[in-house]
Amino acid sequence: MDAVVVDDLTKEYRTRKGPVQALTGISFRVERGEIVGLLGANGAGKTTAIKILCGLLRQTSGRAEVFGVPSSRPEVARHVAALLEGSRNVYWRLSVEENLRFFAGLQGAPPREARRRTQGLVAQFGLEDKRRTTANLLSQGMKQKLALACALVKGTPLLLLDEPTLGLDVETSHELRGFIRELARSQGKTVLLSSHDMGVVEDTCARVVILAQGRVVADDLVPNLLALFRTRAYRVSLRDGLPDGARAQLEARLSALRPLEAERALEVELPPEQDVYTLMDALREAGVAVEGVSRAEPNLEDVFLRIVRGQNEGER
Amino acid sequence: MSRLWTFLAVLTRFFIELKRYPFNTLSGLATLYLIFLLLFAGARYAQGLGVNLFGESLEGLVVGFLVWTFAIAAYSDLSWELMREAQQGTLEQLYMCPLGFRFVTLSWIAGSFLTSLVMVAALLGLMMVTTGHFLRLPLGTLLPLLFLTLAPVYGIGFLMAGLALVYKRIQAFFQVLQFVFVALVALPSDAAWGKALPLSLGTRLLGRAMVDGETLFTLPLGDVLVLIGTGAFYLLLGIGVFRLFEGIAKDRGLLAHY
Ligand SMILES: Nc1ncnc2c1ncn2[C@@H]1O[C@H](COP(=O)(O)OP(=O)(O)OP(=O)(O)O)[C@@H](O)[C@H]1O
Ligand SMILES: [Mg+2]
Repeated sequence: MDAVVVDDLTKEYRTRKGPVQALTGISFRVERGEIVGLLGANGAGKTTAIKILCGLLRQTSGRAEVFGVPSSRPEVARHVAALLEGSRNVYWRLSVEENLRFFAGLQGAPPREARRRTQGLVAQFGLEDKRRTTANLLSQGMKQKLALACALVKGTPLLLLDEPTLGLDVETSHELRGFIRELARSQGKTVLLSSHDMGVVEDTCARVVILAQGRVVADDLVPNLLALFRTRAYRVSLRDGLPDGARAQLEARLSALRPLEAERALEVELPPEQDVYTLMDALREAGVAVEGVSRAEPNLEDVFLRIVRGQNEGER
Repeated sequence: MSRLWTFLAVLTRFFIELKRYPFNTLSGLATLYLIFLLLFAGARYAQGLGVNLFGESLEGLVVGFLVWTFAIAAYSDLSWELMREAQQGTLEQLYMCPLGFRFVTLSWIAGSFLTSLVMVAALLGLMMVTTGHFLRLPLGTLLPLLFLTLAPVYGIGFLMAGLALVYKRIQAFFQVLQFVFVALVALPSDAAWGKALPLSLGTRLLGRAMVDGETLFTLPLGDVLVLIGTGAFYLLLGIGVFRLFEGIAKDRGLLAHY
């Protein structure tokens, strides 16, 4: 059984200013033990999808199930815990430990078990010195860690994480990425996470689902998406920049040419009939001093931008 | 078993917040006591002039005031708690309780009932010492009667909580209801329609138990049945309205917004 099944899911918010179509028939699945990234620009519908999956929002139509349980039923909470936007999911006036124990208890864990899990998470997140500090006195990043720990303390097999690394410093963000990977690897947890930080997504997710204007525009393994957009692009760094006239000369021979970094480098995309020797010849003939040439690999951010932009152009 | 742990977790949290703000709790108690002293002085004065302001006796005043205090606490604990959770962003997490949000609210009610009981017992002690009128406390009769009297108030609490989920800023309306409660407590419940209203019949019956020493079995059966019936009616009505608004909130995505 899949951990998450979303099938033809639609959400239309009724507001005073008329209906807002947040999701238009999206479908995707998440298998047990997978870490999947849910990507999309602001307003693409990520939070809406996540909230429907944890039963906080009622869909207009379509199916949303977690381990076979329709998400509108309260029992769905036995299988899923969520970190919702920002760090506003904890009790400000309760200490770190009290928060953790409360959420374990809310899930039905016996007190001894709740204490055991609390201790484990406090240690894991490095919050030992803050155990007895009330949440309102924690720093932004610590609050975020606490909110994540509060979702984990419930011990559910599925975690929905909406922007889990928002507001974290670089080191903490990296720490958390390792932690999320570990959840799937050693504890067999399933994670669906949304983030605008492609570094986080690349580091943790094997697969991504990309939303644009409430539709799924891509759903594939990260390496496949990267391969899809792998071009024959080369990056040429220049010793002395572009000499006068060289640019026009190069543009006549190479179709896709892009000067980068104040003309200290070039990016060139070669059509199928040209190879790297054509490129080198063209550069030499234009009198350009080359320092080095490397293959420009697309990263997830490029892929994401291309897919989303392509989608926008398609709409127009 | 998990029900017990969830219940205890909710209760523990309720008490931790109470304990962390002892000043709020104590100043609340002191304010109530002051209000009572003023009322009592006023009623005494009026009695001296031959006017019975609060029914037949000053004991009636004590009982009425206690019920009012309890009612305010009962209804505001539920709706304030809900608004606070919504503001804090924790309401969504409570909605993700596997036993359902209603279980959480029922646990709140239990917590609120217990704390109010302690508060009101303390207040009653003070009042009895101040007035020199000592009331009977047949707990076996008082507790069920008290719960039945308050059931409609919990119903109103649910109703207001439901409204608060969707319309958010309704605090002003909240305050008005406190005065409505005064009227209901003070209302003579002889007329049939008066018996059907929240609070007023229950207050009378509690008065008879505390002042005249009547028990559940010596009180008129008809009245006790009416109390049970109206209690169930208002409570279910309140819960029904709450569910309706909860549905609207889930539809429009309002659980997180404040
Ligand atoms: N409660 C609401 N009422 C009305 N419209 C809403 C509500 N919540 C979201 N929307 C609208 O639904 C659409 C999708 O919003 P959603 O919050 O799901 O986007 P998102 O992908 O999470 O964006 P972000 O990256 O900014 O968090 C947006 O157009 C938004 O304005
Ligand atoms: Mg969002």
